[in-house]
Amino acid sequence: MKEIFRLMVVLTTVSALAGFSLAYVNEKTKEPRAYQDRMKLLGSLNTVLPPHGNQPDKDAVTIGPTTYYVSKQNGAVNGVAFETSSDKGYSGLVRVMVGIKPDGEIISIEIVEQKETPGLGSKITEGSFKDRYRGKSLQNARWKVKKDGGDFDQISGATISPRAVTGAVKAGLDAYEKNREQILGGAHVVQ
Amino acid sequence: MSFNSELIRGIWRENPLFVIVLGTCPTLAVSTSVENGIGMGIAATFVLVCSNIVVAAVRKLVPDSVRIAVYIVIIASFVTIVDLVMSAYFRTLYNALGIFIPLIVVNCIILGRAEAFASKNSVFLSIADGIGMGLGFTLALLMIGSVRELLGNGTILGYHLLGGSYVPILVMILPPGAFLTYGTLTAVVKAVNKRI
Repeated sequence: MKEIFRLMVVLTTVSALAGFSLAYVNEKTKEPRAYQDRMKLLGSLNTVLPPHGNQPDKDAVTIGPTTYYVSKQNGAVNGVAFETSSDKGYSGLVRVMVGIKPDGEIISIEIVEQKETPGLGSKITEGSFKDRYRGKSLQNARWKVKKDGGDFDQISGATISPRAVTGAVKAGLDAYEKNREQILGGAHVVQ
Repeated sequence: MSFNSELIRGIWRENPLFVIVLGTCPTLAVSTSVENGIGMGIAATFVLVCSNIVVAAVRKLVPDSVRIAVYIVIIASFVTIVDLVMSAYFRTLYNALGIFIPLIVVNCIILGRAEAFASKNSVFLSIADGIGMGLGFTLALLMIGSVRELLGNGTILGYHLLGGSYVPILVMILPPGAFLTYGTLTAVVKAVNKRI
């Protein structure tokens, strides 16, 4: 009986100490982590949006699950960025940040997160792949990879990952098209 | 049993991957490239040294029958702390290693060394064991990663070494390539050790 009591005391003490130190570290790092998260978001926003004078993460509209980051230059909207994702990749979620002109034409895309096969599917993060989406819109392209009868080149040896990216971007563009009025909110738009 | 001999032991003679065969799951998963191998190796080494220190320090206070539970709590806490601190202060490193950190919890090398070494030896020697085993793990990952990246992608650390006409053997960076490379290298290390 005495032995069991000792085991209980030891395990409880160790768990409590671990709990306290984790809570302490979590609390201490909360602000720096939030700051780093914002820097990361701003970094990917800056790569997909045109030069702007506002803070797009402050001028954001959230509709359903998606947040639309609006970039403005001299008070006029010159771009919108949003994150879209697909679970049709080879492993895990493929998250894509898409930057478009207000009329829906893609400025550029950025892969925020992917766990595709290194050396194969992971090539979707390379510039030569991402550039294929530049200048494309719902109207001027067939949103499928070439193998499925669309306009987007797959990567040799990897069709699934480009298919996931193409599907994600198309879904994002569709959602933008549907909510465009609400996102732009009648603001002055650069043509 | 000096600091140096403990250090060297883990690197080659008792290499955790090729000789003790511990921690194979994360090895098979992340050895697709040299960069991944180094990242996983460094992160695991850090956690291994920290957990070895704490386990060795409390080894006389922990009753035998609950020791495994205590070790797991210690290791899991360290992994979480490393994860939080890196994401807050070393974001570039975190972005490169981030996916490996949670994997360390399930790395048997850490628990294996806590049980086989740190729970029976002083803090000082446990540090040497942690560094040695960590380096041995990193070295092994580096070797497997080099073979797989070179054959499967024609590159080392992203640099093309085999020329443009080389057709990559894709299977080498897919899961079967991990088993093939790991098995072959283990056999080679065994053969070399027999000769010495």
